[in-house]
Amino acid sequence: MKSASTALGRRNSRSPSVLAAIVVAFVLSPAWTGNAQVDSSGSAAQPNYLTPIAAKFSPDGVMLFVACEDDDSVLAVDVRLQRVVKKTKVGHKPKDLAVSPDGKTLYVSNEWSDTVSVIDTTTFQVRKTLATGWGPRGLTTDRLGRILYVANSIGNDVSVIDSATGTELKRLTALRSPHYVQLSRDGRRVYVSNILAHLGSPDDSPVSELMVIDSQKQTVAERILIPGVLELRHIAEAPGPQGGYLLVPFMRPKNLNPLIQVDNGWILTHGVAIVRPAKTAAGIASHSEVTQILLDDIDRYYAGADGAAFTPDGRYALITHAEAATVSVIDTKLLWQRLRSVPAVDLPDRLDTARQIVVHRLPTQSNPTDVVVSPDGRSAYVVNRLDDSLTVLNIPQFKIRTQIDLGGAKEISDLRQGERLFHDSKFCFQGQFACSTCHPDNHIDGVAWNLETPQLGRDRVANRTLRNIAETAPYKWNGHNPDLETQCGPRIAKFLFHSEGFNSVQLADLVAFIKSIPISSNRHLSFDGQLTAAQERGRDIFFRKACDTCHPPATHYTSKTSFDVGTASKYDTSGLLDVPQLDRIYEKPPYLHNGEARSLEEIWTLYNPTDKHGVTSDMSKEQLNDLVEFLKTL
Amino acid sequence: MRNTQRIRWLLAVVGFLWFMPSVPAQTPALYTKWENFTTANGMPDAKVFSVAVDGERVWAGTENGLVLIENSKVSKVFTTADGLPNRVVTGIAVDQKTGDVWLSTFGGLSQFSGGKFQNYTSMTTGLANDIVYGVAIQDDFVWAATTAGINRLNTRTGEWSIFSEKTAPMHEPWSYGIAVGEQKVYVAVWGGGVLEYDIAGGYWKPYNDPDGEMELVLFKNQGLIHDIVSGVSYNHDTKMFWASTYFGMSGYNGHNWFNYLSTDSGLASDFVNATQTRGDDVWACTDKGLSYLNFKTNTWVTYRPNKGTGKGEIVITAPDKKLTKIETPTSLAHNYVLNLAFQGEDIWVATAAGLSHGIHESHKEGKSHEQARASR
Repeated sequence: MKSASTALGRRNSRSPSVLAAIVVAFVLSPAWTGNAQVDSSGSAAQPNYLTPIAAKFSPDGVMLFVACEDDDSVLAVDVRLQRVVKKTKVGHKPKDLAVSPDGKTLYVSNEWSDTVSVIDTTTFQVRKTLATGWGPRGLTTDRLGRILYVANSIGNDVSVIDSATGTELKRLTALRSPHYVQLSRDGRRVYVSNILAHLGSPDDSPVSELMVIDSQKQTVAERILIPGVLELRHIAEAPGPQGGYLLVPFMRPKNLNPLIQVDNGWILTHGVAIVRPAKTAAGIASHSEVTQILLDDIDRYYAGADGAAFTPDGRYALITHAEAATVSVIDTKLLWQRLRSVPAVDLPDRLDTARQIVVHRLPTQSNPTDVVVSPDGRSAYVVNRLDDSLTVLNIPQFKIRTQIDLGGAKEISDLRQGERLFHDSKFCFQGQFACSTCHPDNHIDGVAWNLETPQLGRDRVANRTLRNIAETAPYKWNGHNPDLETQCGPRIAKFLFHSEGFNSVQLADLVAFIKSIPISSNRHLSFDGQLTAAQERGRDIFFRKACDTCHPPATHYTSKTSFDVGTASKYDTSGLLDVPQLDRIYEKPPYLHNGEARSLEEIWTLYNPTDKHGVTSDMSKEQLNDLVEFLKTL
Repeated sequence: MRNTQRIRWLLAVVGFLWFMPSVPAQTPALYTKWENFTTANGMPDAKVFSVAVDGERVWAGTENGLVLIENSKVSKVFTTADGLPNRVVTGIAVDQKTGDVWLSTFGGLSQFSGGKFQNYTSMTTGLANDIVYGVAIQDDFVWAATTAGINRLNTRTGEWSIFSEKTAPMHEPWSYGIAVGEQKVYVAVWGGGVLEYDIAGGYWKPYNDPDGEMELVLFKNQGLIHDIVSGVSYNHDTKMFWASTYFGMSGYNGHNWFNYLSTDSGLASDFVNATQTRGDDVWACTDKGLSYLNFKTNTWVTYRPNKGTGKGEIVITAPDKKLTKIETPTSLAHNYVLNLAFQGEDIWVATAAGLSHGIHESHKEGKSHEQARASR
């Protein structure tokens, strides 16, 4: 099938005609600055892409607000005019939005600024900025608009904010990387989904968590466990008398199986959790029922299940597949027939569900991360993150009505192309996954995988972050890949994608993108960079114990070679392991090559019995705590 | 009113006063009705170490699990199979802001939130030791008293601080209890007296037996009565902290000490496991019953079961040492009392043989806590 992006005439920057056009435009227009930005060093920066990631409707359905993470802006799209009519700048990396019940205020979470921008929807100006926890993403107000709930993806908690005063009232403990927040239709609950699962034994399947907050008391009412899945995404609640249940997209890994085993559903499936919340929010034992269904077909997978929305009558549910550039439309009547006809225990592994319940598969542009349905139920808007556009669907015909260009740069740079490749599952056998599937937010999925050996359970390795890794070669835990070209080229093709993989141009773009992945500021460091007393003591221990021998500061705290630090288990072929970089290490649990250490402390309390990973057995608990506090500043 | 009627009325009043039970003029609130939760009606173990009230809910930490009591019934028992890190639950603190319940156990610290336990151990986190005796909440910080020192967890940053003999003025790290005061945190240290942490300043101040000889204070109100401190509580009404020791009880208001022994007061025993206070009320949990002191009137009341009759016994000690005994049809589950919590005017008492609920009956009893507070 021809890809949607190709069908719509995406241009590649290497196209001679495009290059010529750019040159001509530059020469003919002395004042031209185009969409490119020039950074302070004077070198040309990337074209000004918007990268829309989330959308919310105004209560009257006239305006659609769109958060654009690479442009640090929010757009207002007039859906009658089908174009952008307003724009305002917000904080760094806006990720999500919430509209007050009266429609007068728009809240935007700024993930890298640790703030929420409060925007007057009439003037479309930022009225004030509220401080949040670390890495704010999903957010919602309560039904009266008095309380604002913000999921802090890096702090792993939820800020509860008085929206009138901007005062943070409390923080509620979430699980790991809480990203999405949804107020229940009756206003009694606030749901929070976590991208990463519970930290557990690498021998066990992951268990994810949907957090439920009692909106009256602003306390945690329930933690709904969803076994066997990762990357819980948007939360949609079915409306109407037949409603009351939630759909939460997920990824279902079979990370304990050898990756080279392709049969039996291979290693990754994608679907939604169906959650029927408890009738009462008693705050103790969970009574919620959770069922899982897959949205993949048996020979074609739909990776990156992400956005979720219902039509107002609850008849249809729309799920975006961010890595398959597709929207699946579920007929909920068929869904319930399916749920009644197949035992719930069997459903998570059944690849014949989608053909029973999915009535449309609609192509979108690159990386559709969100979908919203207009209040009148006549249209759905899909946010195409890497295309700076919206795809508009007619309901209930479910035909593509139009594309709305949000106004970003039109030329596709190498980096942008690389980013698209990173988020595109079509290069994998049957479209099962993309790079981003296991590296959400260019980071980790928090589980250990059996990657390259055919034996069950051997040489299992934890996923490593892709942030700020350009200068940390070699790659892989065994250090066998000298560069990213090897890692992302033949190795991925052979061992991971089971396909031809990327061609040389694509590989260059992909590698360029991965090398460009930035890292956010360190939340454990004070603004002036001064260490606390505990951090200073920890720094002294770090150097006194010669940790810098293998983790030298000048090279991202990796010596870029391999050592045997006694962490190999009986399942490992070799104890010689690549020294990992330590930048933002507090964001990366679990630790060690096999993901055995659930915390930094466990590296030394449990997995350094012979002092090969530094002489630490003589350290007091106070010293270990200090060392951990210092490591968190890196 | 005719004279004869007046005389009859006057005789009736005099007669009532003449024949009424001989109780002190300033009788404190008495708990004459007790409801006990034991292994016979749902408790998983006889020994109850800790109790905490969370609105209508009552949490009890036993030697074999955590108990939730709702509507006068044991509604749920949580064990290690439910995720509790250890069967012995020594302390309970309810975070009033978040609703989370924090537990000190013999297997680490635990956060009960949304029906699930999140556990913190010395292997996985910065917790000093897994034997944790006490827990308290101070804003966004969780304090834990362990056998290897005092821990403070910053729930926003995840930073663990340890205060031990290496970093605080304590020659013994074994800590028993924690109480949060006005910009201060108080810690009961076994053999180390009471430590006071200044939150703003970030420094410790020790309160010890002034003669420094690990013996009883030489003069009655010279200082902390003894260094072997089993518990500490803070009274936000009177701005005093109270320390229970195995050799008497002490209160301190920032200027003066108020020490009590069983020999010179109505305290049931010098072996005091814990104190809880509010308003003028000071409660002492001893091995020989539950003692109450009205600090304002210096009137004492001790509650204990009568082994012989199976009924309850209330002993009132007036300021002039005059004793009054009252028998009640119900009583505490046991005279070995470990802790206590307030629920409105009711009290919940952890004993060695069950959890006891002292039910306030206003028509039978003296001035309530709220009334006393209002009239202060």
